[in-house]
Amino acid sequence: MKQLKAYQPLSAQAEQLKQTHLNSLFADNAQRFAQFHVQMPGIMLDFSKQKITKEVLDGLVSMAEEADLKQWIERLISGDELNHTEGRKAWHTALRNVSNPVQEVAEQWDKMAFIVEELHLQQMRGYSGKAITDVVNIGVGGSDLGPLMITHALEMQKLPQSPAIHFVSTLDGRQLQSLLAKLNPETTLFIVASKSFTTIDTLSLAETAKSWMKANCQSNCQSQNAIMRHFIGVSANPAKMSEWGILPQMQLAFWDWVGGRFSMWSSIGLTIAIQHGMEGFKAMLEGAHAVDEHFRNAPFKENIPALLGLIGVWNTNFLNLAGQAILPYDSRLKHFAGYLEQLVMESNGKHTQRDGTFVDYRTCPILWGEVGPNAQHAFYQLLHQGTERVMSDFILFKEGQGSDERSTFHQNLNIANCLAQSRAMMVGQQSDDPHKHYPGDQVSNTLLLTRVDAYHLGMLVAIYEHKVFTESVIWNINPFDQWGVELGKKIALSILESIDQRDASELDQSTQGILQQIWEHKT
Amino acid sequence: MIINVFGSTISALVTAACLAETGNNVTLIGQIPNELAEPGLKKLLKQQMELETLQVSESHQVNADFHIFAYGDGDCSQALKITAKLAKEKHDNSCLIIRSNFSIHIVRDIIEAAQMPIIINPDFAPEGAAIEGFQRPDRTIIGATNGDAVAKFRRLLAPFNRFRDTFIQMTPESAILTKYATNVLIATRISLMNELALVAEQMNADIEEVRQGLGSDHRIGFSYLYSGVGFGGAYLERDLERVQTLIDESGSKENLLKSVYNINQQQKELLFRKLWTHYQCDLDKKKIAIWGVSYKPNTNSIDGAPSLVMIEALLHQGCELHIFDPKLDDIFQNWMQANLNSEQRARIHTHATMYDCLDQADALCVLTEWKNFWSPNFTTLREKMAAPVILDGRNLYDKIWLQENGFTYFGVGR
Repeated sequence: MKQLKAYQPLSAQAEQLKQTHLNSLFADNAQRFAQFHVQMPGIMLDFSKQKITKEVLDGLVSMAEEADLKQWIERLISGDELNHTEGRKAWHTALRNVSNPVQEVAEQWDKMAFIVEELHLQQMRGYSGKAITDVVNIGVGGSDLGPLMITHALEMQKLPQSPAIHFVSTLDGRQLQSLLAKLNPETTLFIVASKSFTTIDTLSLAETAKSWMKANCQSNCQSQNAIMRHFIGVSANPAKMSEWGILPQMQLAFWDWVGGRFSMWSSIGLTIAIQHGMEGFKAMLEGAHAVDEHFRNAPFKENIPALLGLIGVWNTNFLNLAGQAILPYDSRLKHFAGYLEQLVMESNGKHTQRDGTFVDYRTCPILWGEVGPNAQHAFYQLLHQGTERVMSDFILFKEGQGSDERSTFHQNLNIANCLAQSRAMMVGQQSDDPHKHYPGDQVSNTLLLTRVDAYHLGMLVAIYEHKVFTESVIWNINPFDQWGVELGKKIALSILESIDQRDASELDQSTQGILQQIWEHKT
Repeated sequence: MIINVFGSTISALVTAACLAETGNNVTLIGQIPNELAEPGLKKLLKQQMELETLQVSESHQVNADFHIFAYGDGDCSQALKITAKLAKEKHDNSCLIIRSNFSIHIVRDIIEAAQMPIIINPDFAPEGAAIEGFQRPDRTIIGATNGDAVAKFRRLLAPFNRFRDTFIQMTPESAILTKYATNVLIATRISLMNELALVAEQMNADIEEVRQGLGSDHRIGFSYLYSGVGFGGAYLERDLERVQTLIDESGSKENLLKSVYNINQQQKELLFRKLWTHYQCDLDKKKIAIWGVSYKPNTNSIDGAPSLVMIEALLHQGCELHIFDPKLDDIFQNWMQANLNSEQRARIHTHATMYDCLDQADALCVLTEWKNFWSPNFTTLREKMAAPVILDGRNLYDKIWLQENGFTYFGVGR
């Protein structure tokens, strides 16, 4: 990145802008909002509260051009093998190409549609012949976060014929156990979602679910076929699914070219389709597809994901901000920040360039977030008066939930709070009392969407995916692998072996010491 | 007396025919369908029309003593339209009898619009025995406040009240609730028996024996104590829903009737569940024979029939169905058109005799207790079927004998 011609002039501008308060940028330019917002149908990005001038924007755009962003976008969408460290495409855009679907994707839609319809008609049967009433998604990471985030956000809009949907992900088994205590095995269906179908987190939970099923069903239903009526597999590894016992008609596929954190658009999104029908699921794909088209066709200065990416680079590498807060002002987006933690940090939390050399600049910031009105009573203190400079994304929806008097009041209160916080962070407040001094000058984006529905959530997620991609192009890193998570998995297996054998002698002192205390404890 | 009977329901036809038979001048404002499953009704109608005591017409007699509404409950807008017309033409003698089982709101609207004496006279006769039910009722509920109208109505029904006095007079509201409550209580008894049947299976009791014991208690009686594959017919479920609405409006949050309804829905699938577990949760390509589609014998009505639930469940699991019912007609064809796709319809085969549908069958489900199903030739059954599996939804057969003779038998609650 530092080799790009645009880098030096931008650095110089940054030095100057670091000394300029956001307030004065507004004071000096009555057209600031007009100049620094862009939109496409359904969503508007206001980046006027960024420390950006026309010159900076020009510089960032030329940096994108120099880095060949346009070409990279083409390669992404046309399915080039961009994930070179794993020798794969990263072709999630094909999953939502509703205007010109890939045949293998459309085949899976048909298979999903069949399962969804049988569930909705209450014709999907468990071992006793009763219809399924509860669906439990067992998956972790990409096989959990996306569907969890979306189904939670759209819970109020679910189809009346949808069974209840639950999620478990953690390998400690606590979530699963507390859920099993409430569910009826006769009418419970598990979706085992794992790209490799070897992930120990998921498979260990699936085994627990299977033994719960076996322990509960009557003696005349003990056949493998009866038990496996309660399991749907979603994986890129059909052989492993079959080996585990998933019945052929209960297997849904996706492919190695779908990254886990980009997989909610695939059959991994089955729970979304169950909750909203294929129509709702396709609406989500359509929203994302509209963003794909926008990302591919809009000039960078009007391109929402590209601009978000370039602003991210500007803040990280030129203004040296290291924190990124995600602040949705709608409690239905409770799991959105968690979703982005994976999407953003697993994609760009890297220090190796595409050519294998280490970077000499910073890459992904630390991202966290919370539903805005709750976060106001938690970490906003740090945003207003802390010593860390943080960039924030405020996410707001024009429509609230309901149109009666109380709903309107709550929505107005919500809008007022969102706008008040981004403004307070920007302008700050002088005071003689140092405890009541607010420096302001904290930068933020505001994303304004029409409403919380499948289509707009599809748009929102796709925008962040492409933001991440834009940054990765400038940083010259591969956002589609995740080698960083492998080491811990490997060590966990060897420690598990040590625990099984009650022999920690090969391990380091700290690990030995902790294990010793656990072993000495008698319950 | 001069009588108008409005409607084309079994209730309307029976009312018109029976009143004509006792010498009244009756006009039926409705249609007589070509196919009539109700025993004896076709003959009685024909007789009365030949005697010219009964005529079928599009227009009613303005000077009638009684206008009798026996519309189906879906025809409420038609009823309201006619009411307005009758109100305009009314004379001193006019009186409106409501035998239809309308919702309380519709009845109130009719009373308001009619501006003449009104009598609520609910029809309690069960389909399949409707003429008997009209001519020898165990009770005749008269919900009215106008004494003259009641006296005249008593005279009209006097021929059917000779054995003992069955008239019970009450307010119109009480009459309406009595009708609802009757259906709801029947439904509740059936669902309770079906729950007990599950328990009986679990603890190796036989619900048939339990029924005998229970029914002999004079406080309980034998009626509607059969467990089976759930009640059908349009009326019980509809009145359950109506009374549930009234209960909700009263502020009660208890769920007795919801449970009655849910148990019944589960019960309609009972035989499916037994078959499903028998074949280890895989019914794909199985040939299943079904005896009986109508919700009870002697009718072609399939409203809410357990057979429909069964047929859908089996089709969804990939079965091929071979069906016999003595009164299978267009009603079933229409239901298939409306509820099944072409691929599913192609897997349904209807047969002309009860034995024709058994060839290579993997199971036989008996869903309606038509008389001809009670004592079939079991040798023929065993020869024709691929697997001698009988699912007896009405507990018609001797379980022990069948088991001793090589059949796999599943009943309800035994």
